[in-house]
Amino acid sequence: MKINPKLKKDLKSFLLNNIQKEQNRALVISADCLNLDQKKILQQKFSDLDWKEAIYETDKSVIAGIIIKVGSKIIDLSLTGLLSKLSNTLYEID
Amino acid sequence: MENLGIEGKLLLAQIINFVLFFILVKQFIVKPFTAFLNQERKNEEEKNRMLEKLKKSEEAGMEAEKKMKEKMKKEFDTLFVQAKKEAQDMRADLMKQAEADALEIKAKNSKLMEEEKNLLYREVKDKIIKTSLMIVESTLKESLDESARKKITGTIIKNYEGKVNFN
Repeated sequence: MKINPKLKKDLKSFLLNNIQKEQNRALVISADCLNLDQKKILQQKFSDLDWKEAIYETDKSVIAGIIIKVGSKIIDLSLTGLLSKLSNTLYEID
Repeated sequence: MENLGIEGKLLLAQIINFVLFFILVKQFIVKPFTAFLNQERKNEEEKNRMLEKLKKSEEAGMEAEKKMKEKMKKEFDTLFVQAKKEAQDMRADLMKQAEADALEIKAKNSKLMEEEKNLLYREVKDKIIKTSLMIVESTLKESLDESARKKITGTIIKNYEGKVNFN
C-alpha cells in the first residue's frame, strides 16, 4: 500500500510539531505546590533543558522532591525515585 | 557146578535177565536221567553265565552311572563356579552402577538444593527489600508533614548541580 506523499509530509510535520511542543513544555511533579522562588531556581538550574513553559502538578506519591519530564527526558529528584534507586542497588548486591 | 548148587540154566536165565535188565535200565532210565542231568547242568551253567553277564552288565552300568555322576558333578561344579563368578561379576557391576547412580543422584540433589537455596535467598532478599522499602516509604509518608516535605524539596532543588546531594 502506497501512502500519499502529501499526507505523509503533513503527518511528519504534525508529529515534529508535537515533539517540538513537548520539548518546549516541561511537566514538574512535586508532592506540594512549589513557591515562586523554587520555580525561578528550577528555571535557572535546568536551563540546559531549554523549556519555554512549565506545567506544575502535585502528586503525593513522590513523598518529597520533584520529577521533571521534558519530552522523552525524565529527571527524578523525588524521594520515591531515590528509594527506587536504593532498591535497585540492593538487588544488585549479592 | 551142580555140586556147588549152581544150576546152569538158572544162571543163564539170570544172566540174560540181568543183561536185559541192564539194557533196559540203561536205555530207559540211565540215559534219560543222564540227559536230564546234563541238560540241568547246562541250564545251570547257562544260568550262571547269564547271571555273570548280568552282574557284569550291572557293574558296567553302575560304573557308567558312577562315571556319569562324577562327570555331572564336575560339570555342575564347573557351572556352579562359573555361575558364582558371573554372579560376583554381576554383583560388582550392579554395585558400581548403584554407586554411580547414587553419586549422580547426590550431585543432582546437591545442585537442586543449591538452586533451591539460591531461589530461597533471592525470595527472602526480595521480600526483605520490598518490606524495608515499604516501611521506609510509609514511615516517610507518615512522618513528613507539609513543611518538612517543602523543606526537603527546596533543599533538593537548591543543592541540585547535575546530581542530587542530600547532605
